[in-house]
Amino acid sequence: MLIEILQQTINGLAIGGVYVLIALGLTTVFGILGIAHFAHGSVSMFGGYLTFFLVTSQGLPLIAAIPIALVVGFLLGLLIEIVAYRPVRNANHINAFIVALGLTMMVEGINLQLFGHEQVVIPTGLSKVFRLGGITVPELRIYVIIAAIVLVAAMMLFVEKTKTGQAIRAVAENRDAAILMGVNVKSIPLIVFGISTSLGVAAGIMVGALFAIAPGIGEGFVVKGFAVLILGGLGSFPGAILGGTVLGITESIAAGFISSAYKDVIAFVVMILVLLIRPQGLLGRSP
Amino acid sequence: MLALRDLRVSYGAIEVVHGISLDVAAGECVALIGANGAGKSSTLKAICGLVPVGSGSVQFEGRDITNASGHAIVRAGITMCPEGRQVFPQMSVIQNLRMGAYTRTDKDQDADLVRMMDMFPILRERQNQAAGKLSGGEQEMLAIARALMARPRICLFDEPSLGLAPKIVASVFETLAQIKAMGMTILLVEQNSMMALNLADRAYLFEAGKIVMQGPAKELKSHPDVMRAYLGH
Repeated sequence: MLIEILQQTINGLAIGGVYVLIALGLTTVFGILGIAHFAHGSVSMFGGYLTFFLVTSQGLPLIAAIPIALVVGFLLGLLIEIVAYRPVRNANHINAFIVALGLTMMVEGINLQLFGHEQVVIPTGLSKVFRLGGITVPELRIYVIIAAIVLVAAMMLFVEKTKTGQAIRAVAENRDAAILMGVNVKSIPLIVFGISTSLGVAAGIMVGALFAIAPGIGEGFVVKGFAVLILGGLGSFPGAILGGTVLGITESIAAGFISSAYKDVIAFVVMILVLLIRPQGLLGRSP
Repeated sequence: MLALRDLRVSYGAIEVVHGISLDVAAGECVALIGANGAGKSSTLKAICGLVPVGSGSVQFEGRDITNASGHAIVRAGITMCPEGRQVFPQMSVIQNLRMGAYTRTDKDQDADLVRMMDMFPILRERQNQAAGKLSGGEQEMLAIARALMARPRICLFDEPSLGLAPKIVASVFETLAQIKAMGMTILLVEQNSMMALNLADRAYLFEAGKIVMQGPAKELKSHPDVMRAYLGH
């Protein structure tokens, strides 16, 4: 029993890491622009597909394909901000909402056109399995967990310790005051989209390596990403980290003890229960 | 140093500043006084690029900065301490102060941080607290210190006493006097006309979007119309 719980917790940490990376991107975009960036999941999966393509068709080693995909993700983020969201920045919020939905369909369509409808798994060559007591941990899962921790820590350091990161926070908290500090509020959304999309691509690569990427998977992940935001508390970084980890572990334990068919149901039941007790989310500020 | 010529500001179709001209010389403390809604704050916001200038011009140190973007105006050397304090509520006091120095790249930023906390000991006590948790008076001190962190060549203060208890208002004005004594050029908007005229070298009286009187603060203070309408004598 205890071993099973530990086993599922470790499994849950890997998928939780993916949720955290997606949620961090969503929460940063939401904080700065008030946009629910629904296309984030599909764009993230594009990064996973791209890595698959670079490794299988172009014969690149994974270690080279990943940085390329992250850079492409960054550039794609810039493009999305300039082409899709910038034109509607000063318009009614419903416009940005519709742009987000349209963009999701577009990116899903592009993924389908470029990479087909077959599900793909990124070959990693990491097949070792560690056994500790009764717990089995595939080496790939350990790398995914470590990579997620490193990326989240890097993002936290960037936001808390650099001037640009602090400017991102400042714009989210008080846009006019940020202008008075000399922040160029036109360039901040660009940086935010670039970094968020890069983090999303990292998550997409993890999904492609751990499970598989197929049409529609990205949309599932973006819904989970928003669930994490609400669970952790909108606009809270620690909330997104805690929320993603909790969701991943809950799902995993539910899958292990009940049935993997019910894992999404259980995850959302937990979310509803948390919101009944703490409507502002786990680490959200009270209204 | 700062010269406005025939400045007009509108919100949509409604014009609130109807062509005003004013000057601030280096080292001077100039107050804009007048009733609520007379266009004083809108004038400051237009200088800072927060609201667009309809027509007329803003010149700073000989450069035309009319309708320049807000961040470019800060880099030119103009910093505003905004109405209602506008601190970053979730960020710590230290992080707020560091944001004030956002445009700076020099190495004296840490030294300035220490200087600000010497000037406002309460900010040192609360340095790691979220700024939103401070009292109104403490937030005003933080907003003033944050503005000074930019090392501006001119500092604009928009209603620094608004919504504060009388005792705190007095200490805010003591602080402003201290900043003035440091040689800072100040443009102050204030509804507390008596306090503003006591502090300022010169003043402009706003009424319904126009300047109706100007002169040395002492003269305005003893002018019968000003006394009756704004000083409560």
